[in-house]
Amino acid sequence: MSALSFVALLAIGAVVGLDLVSVPQAMLSRPLVAGFLGGAVAGRPGAGLTMGALLELFAFETLPIGAARYPDWGPAACAAGALAALRGGWDGTWMVGVMVVALVAAWLGGLTMHLARRLNAVQVRRREAALDAGDPHALMALQLGGVTRDAVRAVLLTAFTFLVGEHVARAVEAGWRAPRPLADIAVIGTALGVAAWSAWRLYGQRPTRRWLAAGTAVGLAALGIVAW
Amino acid sequence: MARLFTIQAAWTYERMLGIGFGFAAEPMLRGLRRDGGTEAFHGAVARESRFFNAHPYFASLAVGAAVRAELDGVPPEKIERLRSALSGPLGSLGDRLIWAGWLPACAAIALILVALGAGPWAVVAFLVLYNVAHVRLRVWGLRAGFRSGMGVAGALSTPGLQRALELVSPVAAFLVGGALVSVLAWIPVHGRWETAAGAAAALLFAGAVRAIQPRATGMVVAGGVLAVVLALGVLW
Repeated sequence: MSALSFVALLAIGAVVGLDLVSVPQAMLSRPLVAGFLGGAVAGRPGAGLTMGALLELFAFETLPIGAARYPDWGPAACAAGALAALRGGWDGTWMVGVMVVALVAAWLGGLTMHLARRLNAVQVRRREAALDAGDPHALMALQLGGVTRDAVRAVLLTAFTFLVGEHVARAVEAGWRAPRPLADIAVIGTALGVAAWSAWRLYGQRPTRRWLAAGTAVGLAALGIVAW
Repeated sequence: MARLFTIQAAWTYERMLGIGFGFAAEPMLRGLRRDGGTEAFHGAVARESRFFNAHPYFASLAVGAAVRAELDGVPPEKIERLRSALSGPLGSLGDRLIWAGWLPACAAIALILVALGAGPWAVVAFLVLYNVAHVRLRVWGLRAGFRSGMGVAGALSTPGLQRALELVSPVAAFLVGGALVSVLAWIPVHGRWETAAGAAAALLFAGAVRAIQPRATGMVVAGGVLAVVLALGVLW
């Protein structure tokens, strides 16, 4: 990847990282979108979309509710999409490596967000008198500071995911010795497994359970018709 | 209006959305600067920047209502009570309608479109579909809140909102069920037995995650399983 593409990747990582909480919460941070954008920067949006769709299955588990600490998928998926684009089509072996790094990065994203919120609080305490006096400049400064901290956090996460992910993917590509289907099954099993668990947790109660079952049945029927 | 999109930019555990709330309300409060006096304006900005927590999209309703109350000269303690009373219901409403309903429904549609080969159009459809509702909700909230002022609770019982609440969960459940099967069919593995093994592994995995709840999230367990597979694959 060229230096220019890497800078573009970091810029997109910052945008999707900011989107989760700071601005504008338009779901650019969802793995499906971020993975696609990362793949587009690296020249193969389709490969990025594939990686993004897989990570989206994990993200079904995440409800970004207020004070809860939740993973930040945007920068991780953006970098993982770029890594997928640099390698092309589906191959479970390097995908296992990239997914492990992306999951760790998303978890770190949640942790760094918590730290950014603590730093926001320090700044708020410093400007307590101005806030109590209703100074609009203090509000503007705090908002700008919050956005800046969040952007820096997202850039660092994107860089971490891409650089570590590239290293891990290369090592796995060179050193994988087990049968390849093992990697494919692990990728499908964990991604779909988390999504299935999340669907059950969200909709497995009485009023919506039958709708979940109906959707699954319709999907299976369509699959049967296509296969037949 | 644009400032509402940054309502969580300076989120803290102490004030939560408070700073963003004050920042979004401030331009609309400038009408309180009358005859060269700014005391009412600064007092209102200070009040609106205190603790507030709600779903970020529905917070626009509270911003509109609080601003209207400030402009109408409602006593500060009543405005404080209004903000406090709106926090819980607006948070719960947003969680049910958006985070547990509209977002999973849109994501499921996007995954189905990916499985059907729509490629980039799946991403475009997801963003357009989701954000039409998102932006409309913020605009509606600000207007309805500003129109209603202290009587904002009535805006929450509008038939459209109640109907959306009734419909969103069943629709999302149906779409998510369909999306999971579609994704399984789409994943480009080498053979049918591999797909079947993947589906079986997914069911086993989901069952295992359910069994160990709430000690670990699915994401953490998946990370662990993938790391073990990674080590196994290299050390084979």
